[in-house]
Amino acid sequence: MSRRLGALVLAMGILVGAMGLKTVFTAHAKGTLVANGPAIPPTPRPSHGQ
Amino acid sequence: MPVSVGMLIWYLGTALELVFVVCSVARGSYFKYFFLNLYFILSVLTSVGRFVVFTAYGPGSDQYMYVYYYTDPLLTLALFAVLISLFLRVFEELGFAKHIRLGAGLLLLGTVLFSYAVVAQSSERLSTKFAYELSQNLYFVGLVLTYILWGAVLKLRETRTRVVQFILSLGLYFSAYAASYALMNFADKGSLIQYLSQALGCFLPLSWCITLLRYTEESRIVPARLVAVPR
Repeated sequence: MSRRLGALVLAMGILVGAMGLKTVFTAHAKGTLVANGPAIPPTPRPSHGQ
Repeated sequence: MPVSVGMLIWYLGTALELVFVVCSVARGSYFKYFFLNLYFILSVLTSVGRFVVFTAYGPGSDQYMYVYYYTDPLLTLALFAVLISLFLRVFEELGFAKHIRLGAGLLLLGTVLFSYAVVAQSSERLSTKFAYELSQNLYFVGLVLTYILWGAVLKLRETRTRVVQFILSLGLYFSAYAASYALMNFADKGSLIQYLSQALGCFLPLSWCITLLRYTEESRIVPARLVAVPR
């Protein structure tokens, strides 16, 4: 397997793993996950929740 | 959430981000860790923009919500770039730079396409939902990438203290966010957990500042001390 194909397979594997992890974490979630900076999050709205 | 406590954490976090950039320039590491600095510069600019809208319209306004959720993917993308730059540093001696860039590009493209596919069926405003979905998906991709990078650090016996500490802090940061998110589902409105995710925003600049100030580029760490081994 060439290195390019390896990079493609690895990238897709990581994506699948990450989305699986997201599904586990957000399956029964109430709030929103925003992981950037110390700003005050906006008041949650149903349309931007899960 | 009482605004005063939230504002205090916000000011503190933004100040720490600025301190990191200043320390980086003062220590001559600005270009060496360019993407780390870029992330904090973008974060400070974003904070200023959010603050202007926050004070003008309030935390429950549509304006603040749009500014918040549209600027978030920008920061997550910058954090993704930080991770890739750390990957390039760890793997620089193996000559994998081209393949890492290719893999990162493919991963980003895959995440964007996946996010679009998820929101394409939504009847809501597409761009808003897309921005939110992309940010969430990139966060989880970042989480997985950080653990892979940590595995590589252990396997390759990376000894540069600054690189190791930066990666460790990033791993803790991502993991703590995931934990606070899980805790939030059990917490009542107005409990201390509400502050946790906001306070975590102060953790990354603080830990990276300590790393920059405490260690030089020449500092080395013994890799065997990073992992428990059976006797």
